[in-house]
Amino acid sequence: MKSVINVIKEQIQYFYLIRRLSLYELKSKNKNNYLGMVWEIITPSIQVMIYWFVFGTLLRREPIIVGEEEVPFIFWLIPAFFLWTFFYQSTIQGSKSIYSRLRMLSKMNFPMSVIPSYVIFSQLYIHFVVLGITVGLFQLAGYYVNIYYLQIPYFLFATIILVFAISLITSTLSTIIRDIHMLLSSTLRMFLYISGVLWPISRLEDFPTILEIMKLNPVYYVVSGYRAALFGSEWYFITQWQYTLIFWAIVIVLLFIGATIHVRFRRHFIDYL
Amino acid sequence: MQKSIEVKKITKKYKLYKNTKERFLDLLSPKSYGEDFYALRNVSFDVEKGDILGLIGTNGSGKSTLSNILAGIVPETSGEIKTYGQVSLIAVASGLKGDLTGRDNIELKLLMLGFDKHQIAELEPEIIEFSELEKFIDQPVKSYSSGMKSRLGFAISVNIDPDILIIDEALSVGDRAFAEKSFNKMLEFKKKGKTMVFVSHSLGQMRKFCEKILWLEFGTVREYGPVNEVLDHYEQYLKDWKKMSKQKREAYKKKVIKNNIIEQEEGVSK
Repeated sequence: MKSVINVIKEQIQYFYLIRRLSLYELKSKNKNNYLGMVWEIITPSIQVMIYWFVFGTLLRREPIIVGEEEVPFIFWLIPAFFLWTFFYQSTIQGSKSIYSRLRMLSKMNFPMSVIPSYVIFSQLYIHFVVLGITVGLFQLAGYYVNIYYLQIPYFLFATIILVFAISLITSTLSTIIRDIHMLLSSTLRMFLYISGVLWPISRLEDFPTILEIMKLNPVYYVVSGYRAALFGSEWYFITQWQYTLIFWAIVIVLLFIGATIHVRFRRHFIDYL
Repeated sequence: MQKSIEVKKITKKYKLYKNTKERFLDLLSPKSYGEDFYALRNVSFDVEKGDILGLIGTNGSGKSTLSNILAGIVPETSGEIKTYGQVSLIAVASGLKGDLTGRDNIELKLLMLGFDKHQIAELEPEIIEFSELEKFIDQPVKSYSSGMKSRLGFAISVNIDPDILIIDEALSVGDRAFAEKSFNKMLEFKKKGKTMVFVSHSLGQMRKFCEKILWLEFGTVREYGPVNEVLDHYEQYLKDWKKMSKQKREAYKKKVIKNNIIEQEEGVSK
């Protein structure tokens, strides 16, 4: 437990540094493209189109219900997919953050736990932009800004903490055994299909046990919360309070594991390069 | 006199694995796999504040490992090390980000060293001027020549005003004029009473600049003392070394390492 408190304290103490470093991170990543950071938005947008085409048009499906009303598939897909993109990108980048930067960062006056967080943070800026675009599109489609939008910061915060906890674990393990990073990227690809991003998992009504297990997935929790907020259907984290408790229990366990192994190994990271 | 660096019985052990299977087994099983390699064994010495220490030794004697440990980049396997004040390491392959411009790299590096916005704004022009990069400062670092890179690295490390400066063969790159300038800067440091550790193969530079020499041989201290005395012995040693045949060298190396292990064990049992 001590390591968890330590790691969290470090994040707060070096928050200024995290913010500044994340900007340089973004800058160095997109320096070579003419369109620069615009690519960070074009790529997920193209992906949304593809999934819309495949899952929305080619495959026959039943209407999608959020709250009580039926909603068009594309609007159901967009917020979830953009949140997924943030989750996916920052988890992947966070996982390789330490071993890919260690050589360069080796001499510094800040704790290593800051490295995954500033990488996650650099992804957050992009998410803000696509979230803005999403909100704009929703206005055009007649889903206006409503009181339930207040949930968005909560679910975003929950996602960040979830990603941070996962990154602490995977960045440590993948520094020691590089294969972990490969394992993670294939696992995440699978999660895209089972987290209720692309198709409503309520389709599995006939298999209640599987459905229940899938609902425990923390990604499903944040994705559904985002939808509830943008469509203004419910206070998701209150109406689904059981899942809120389960989500935070999972996050705390992950954070505990992550902080413990991170603190235990961080002094010796450089020896594993 | 005030101590600046205290090193007590530092040992650095690396593991050499034949293949990834050994590496994996060593990680998971309690049994030890792979061959132990001691980059440093039982190294102890003190440096006083304002001293200029030269590190010498043949290739693979542990000079770079020692300077990395002093800078806090690589952890020691056992032993104790204390450094008083901020340590700055200058190496040829200093950590610069290739995609960013020289200017961005300066800012990033200063940021990571814990400087705030105002301090960075203050230091930046000095560093740019010292590095003599002029209009290249706004070009990405990956387009720089090795001399330009080391100039930038040196300019950053020198201008942040560290208490202990470790220079690992960084001056062998770059032209004469810049080397001269760097030397002057280091003389300035010397006057200010800062501690410096100097790693180089150039004995001439050492004689001119250092006060004390630490001679490393296969990871242990062979001699530690005043500059001329140790360097004379070292030069004699190099001559003998050149004359030795390959077999003789191997035999000699084995003998030295064996003696060291015996010494170390005796030290432990005492």
